[in-house]
Amino acid sequence: MEPLSGIDITGRILWQFWPVWISLIVLFALSMRFKRRLGLYGKLFDSPIGMIGFALVMFWIFTGIYASFDLIMTHLPLSQISGLKNKGPGSPLPSPDPGQYQWYLLGGDNLARDVFSRMVKGSSIVIGIAPLATLFAFMVGITMGLPAGYYGGRLDVFLSFMANLILAFPVILLFFLLVTPEIVAAGVPNYMATVLFCFPIIFATVLLNSRYHSQPSVRTPLMSAVLVVLIWIYLSAISTDGYLVRTEGLKIPLLPNAIDLFNIAGGTLVVFVSVVFVNSPTVYRIVRGLTMDIKTRDYVAAAQTRGEGPWYIMLWEILPNARGPLIVDFCLRIGYTTILLGTLGFFGLGLPPESPDWGSTINDARKLLSIYLHPALPPALALLSLVLGLNLLADGLREESLKD
Amino acid sequence: MSKDDYDGPILEIENLSISFFTRLREIPAVMDFSVTVQPGEAVGLVGESGCGKSTVALGVMRDLGKNGQIVGGSIKFKGRDMGAMSDEELRDIRGSEIAMIYQEPMASLNPAMKIGKQLMEVPMIHKGASKEQAYERALQVVTDVKLPDPKRILDSFPHQLSGGQQQRIVIAMALMAEPSLLILDEPTTALDVTVEAAVVQLVKELGKKYGTSMLFISHNLGLVLETCDRLCVMYSGEAVETGSIADVFDKMQHPYTQALFRSIPLPGADKNARPLKAIPGNFPLPHERPQGCNFGPRCDYFEDGRCNVTDIRMAEVAGDDRHWTRCLKFQEIDWNAPMELMETKQKGEIGPVVLKMDNLKKYYEVAANALFGGGRTKVVKANETLSFEARESETLAIVGESGCGKSTFAKVLMGLETATDGQILLDNRNIEMTPIEKRDSKTVSEIQMVFQNPFDTLNPSMTVGRQIIRALEIFGIGKNDAERRARMLELLDLVKLPREFADRMPRQLSGGQKQRVGIARAFAGDARIVVADEPVSALDVSVQAAVTDLLMEIQREKKTTLLFISHDLSIVRYLSDRVMVMYLGHVVELGTTDQVFSPPYHPYTEALLSAVPIADTSVQKEHIVLEGDIPSAMNPPPGCPFQTRCRWKDQVPGGLCEKDVPPMRQMADGHQIKCHLAEDILSRMTPVIKIAAE
Repeated sequence: MEPLSGIDITGRILWQFWPVWISLIVLFALSMRFKRRLGLYGKLFDSPIGMIGFALVMFWIFTGIYASFDLIMTHLPLSQISGLKNKGPGSPLPSPDPGQYQWYLLGGDNLARDVFSRMVKGSSIVIGIAPLATLFAFMVGITMGLPAGYYGGRLDVFLSFMANLILAFPVILLFFLLVTPEIVAAGVPNYMATVLFCFPIIFATVLLNSRYHSQPSVRTPLMSAVLVVLIWIYLSAISTDGYLVRTEGLKIPLLPNAIDLFNIAGGTLVVFVSVVFVNSPTVYRIVRGLTMDIKTRDYVAAAQTRGEGPWYIMLWEILPNARGPLIVDFCLRIGYTTILLGTLGFFGLGLPPESPDWGSTINDARKLLSIYLHPALPPALALLSLVLGLNLLADGLREESLKD
Repeated sequence: MSKDDYDGPILEIENLSISFFTRLREIPAVMDFSVTVQPGEAVGLVGESGCGKSTVALGVMRDLGKNGQIVGGSIKFKGRDMGAMSDEELRDIRGSEIAMIYQEPMASLNPAMKIGKQLMEVPMIHKGASKEQAYERALQVVTDVKLPDPKRILDSFPHQLSGGQQQRIVIAMALMAEPSLLILDEPTTALDVTVEAAVVQLVKELGKKYGTSMLFISHNLGLVLETCDRLCVMYSGEAVETGSIADVFDKMQHPYTQALFRSIPLPGADKNARPLKAIPGNFPLPHERPQGCNFGPRCDYFEDGRCNVTDIRMAEVAGDDRHWTRCLKFQEIDWNAPMELMETKQKGEIGPVVLKMDNLKKYYEVAANALFGGGRTKVVKANETLSFEARESETLAIVGESGCGKSTFAKVLMGLETATDGQILLDNRNIEMTPIEKRDSKTVSEIQMVFQNPFDTLNPSMTVGRQIIRALEIFGIGKNDAERRARMLELLDLVKLPREFADRMPRQLSGGQKQRVGIARAFAGDARIVVADEPVSALDVSVQAAVTDLLMEIQREKKTTLLFISHDLSIVRYLSDRVMVMYLGHVVELGTTDQVFSPPYHPYTEALLSAVPIADTSVQKEHIVLEGDIPSAMNPPPGCPFQTRCRWKDQVPGGLCEKDVPPMRQMADGHQIKCHLAEDILSRMTPVIKIAAE
């Protein structure tokens, strides 16, 4: 068989994405139709920049979702087909089995895997990790930033000092330290995860308690239910194969396998911990600044004069009114996290080497970059378009939230 | 054309219409607006917020932004049509021929540039003056605006000056190029009353001295009376009445002007015998203006089928000097008919003492170095020996300018701070040392507060109903959500808001409505003592009357003790039973309203009374302008706190004022004054405000 022409490749790739196109069209049609009733989200559809950004972001989110069901992809991300090593885009399979897709649309990498499929599969890893890791960073940043801004004084000085300390630490060095075998063996990432993953629980507890403490009949059942679920997830997250830490010298048993909901691979845990660790000080600073501004408002004084507790004021009076800048920063920060994931992958840190995520793929392709360009370009362009989309989306949101 | 060889009107605005274009629609901000400013004349532009008065000013400056546009009419400056001018010509005129003074002085000055440099820029850019000439001119103008030590001022940065001084600099900057027209957009709103009086005095004098015409934009009729020759009343984008001050104030020919005057507390109004009459209804939104007369739906003289048919033109009132009104029926209305007397209210029975303050002191320690707590600490005496009693269903007004310690006092009373010394007795229980976390919910709900800024008093991301229900929850009222919701709806009834408002977000409410929600929230736990911190000062006059009335009505019904913090003496005189005047943390005068508002005065009360602008041509005021600014509480003067600005100081022998804090002297029955002045001098004082015999 002949290799496909450029037009053919483009057409076939566009066709491969058909579930994504349909989803995008449905989403946009519905959103445009009801945009006046959808608040800030609806207003996004008044700004062309925001719409382009949103479309780019949603394209990759849908791709990620469908890819996790093995749609869109033409081959499995790890399957190798002999004879296609480093072959250019549109190369036909030498001896296709019946039912097998007959081409490597974007060529093969140096292990003869399909570049297109790996890029598509990589999106589901990026889309799965980046927003979640950013969310954790926000939880930590908010839980620290609110009291620092609200109380001020020595607490503020102490927390800000800690934040500056982390910010001053070279990020790359920090990552290398985190994945050094001795440090992993000593269980440091696990301990850090144990601490960092606590924050959502603390956050939820304080949030609900401050709101309902005057009505114990509502508070107690609600809080118990939420806490049981959260703690279960928490324990599942930090325990692997029945242990919190399992090294030569030290074994700390935790949740038995039978009730362990899921395991997080060691590499992913490191990615999570480092992303949270690096991003939360910046979030902390933003939240602290916003809190210092909002706490001077009369409605905060009104809450104080009716005897509200400090955490109610922080979480229910101040935080909701700081949401505008925080949402914008959240979008931007997912972008940074995506790049950070790429950086980590590029350094061979974090995720396992065979992982199809974009950073690792680019790193793999780097070695033969001067000879074969095609394995590096697709993941690089994918990363570029997602980050660009997030930036445009954040711009659009900021622009629209400032209007009336 | 040179500056001096033109003697026609300085500014002629004819049938001006300005619209703003949004994505949804065109919003007409100003419609069919005409005004003429003659040389040396001061024209006032009065109206409530949103009536388009600032838009007119921006239109004259051609500074309407991207989406604003002049859609009709013309603006002629010295006979030349500004619409036909090029950008370059306009730039030439701005700053040199037309200067504008804005509300917020700090925002008009570049914080990173020395005052002198900012002033010198003006003649250097517009006249090509040399550095030396510009400096000379700057020095002269700064002297003209009566700032002490002009050389030092020129060499300082904006943040080193007080608000009043900054506004003087802004005025100086506007005068640097000797403009023919000065536009003042609420120039004194951000300033304290006594400072405002001084600035207004200055503007008047300078206007005369330089022969500058002025367009004075304000919501305060009293200020306009003091500064302007002519006046233009605006309502919802239209001029409804223009004329000379005397004509408009005394022979008004438009129902809106009349309603406006009836809703402001002039001397003679009384909360029980002659209550204020609020204008019913709400200001129409620019895109929801009614057919025909914009004021129609709120007008007492509205006639269906006549007032709501066609657009109404301005009509000239015969016999007056350029007096125009936009009313079809002005010749039929009997303008001299006395105001329909609203039902007179029963005066609330003053009950037993509820709250007693005894020698309350609140000092703050301010460390010189916040981070390491080292260095010397400074003591700020925010409240000094505060003693008074407040009774059930009594209104006690607390009057004073910024920095007088009234907010600190409110904080201590609410329990947000604990007292340094002295005691606060609530029903004979000491609460001065109990912070709010330690107070039981009954005590907390009994003392509540209404805040000043309606746009800040409600949490913008919670529905109105939710916020009131939250207060009920925290006070432990109601067994379940349904009961609390029912109670919340009753509270909305109490403050006369429709029940649908429960599910609205605060941004959907107007300022007055938000303030009502604030009041409902304060009364959620049947508060017995309500501290109202300037509850109406940020509202428009017509809304002020309604909110004040509401407070009075709730007070009569619930026998609440109202501590009314304000600097607006007109409203204090209208609604309070007793008045306490504070200055730099000291109570300088305390007595019933009549005692405080008539001689003998404390010298500060006297100055304060004289500073408040009153919108009544029959009132004659003695002008007392206080020199300088309020001293900082960090660094109060020795002796009497008021001695640095007191005009009676030389009447006290032996420099006593600079040495000792005067004792609180008992005058007539319950009237106390903190002053060294001898008895006979006090008794010789004359009233500051006189109402001329009709």
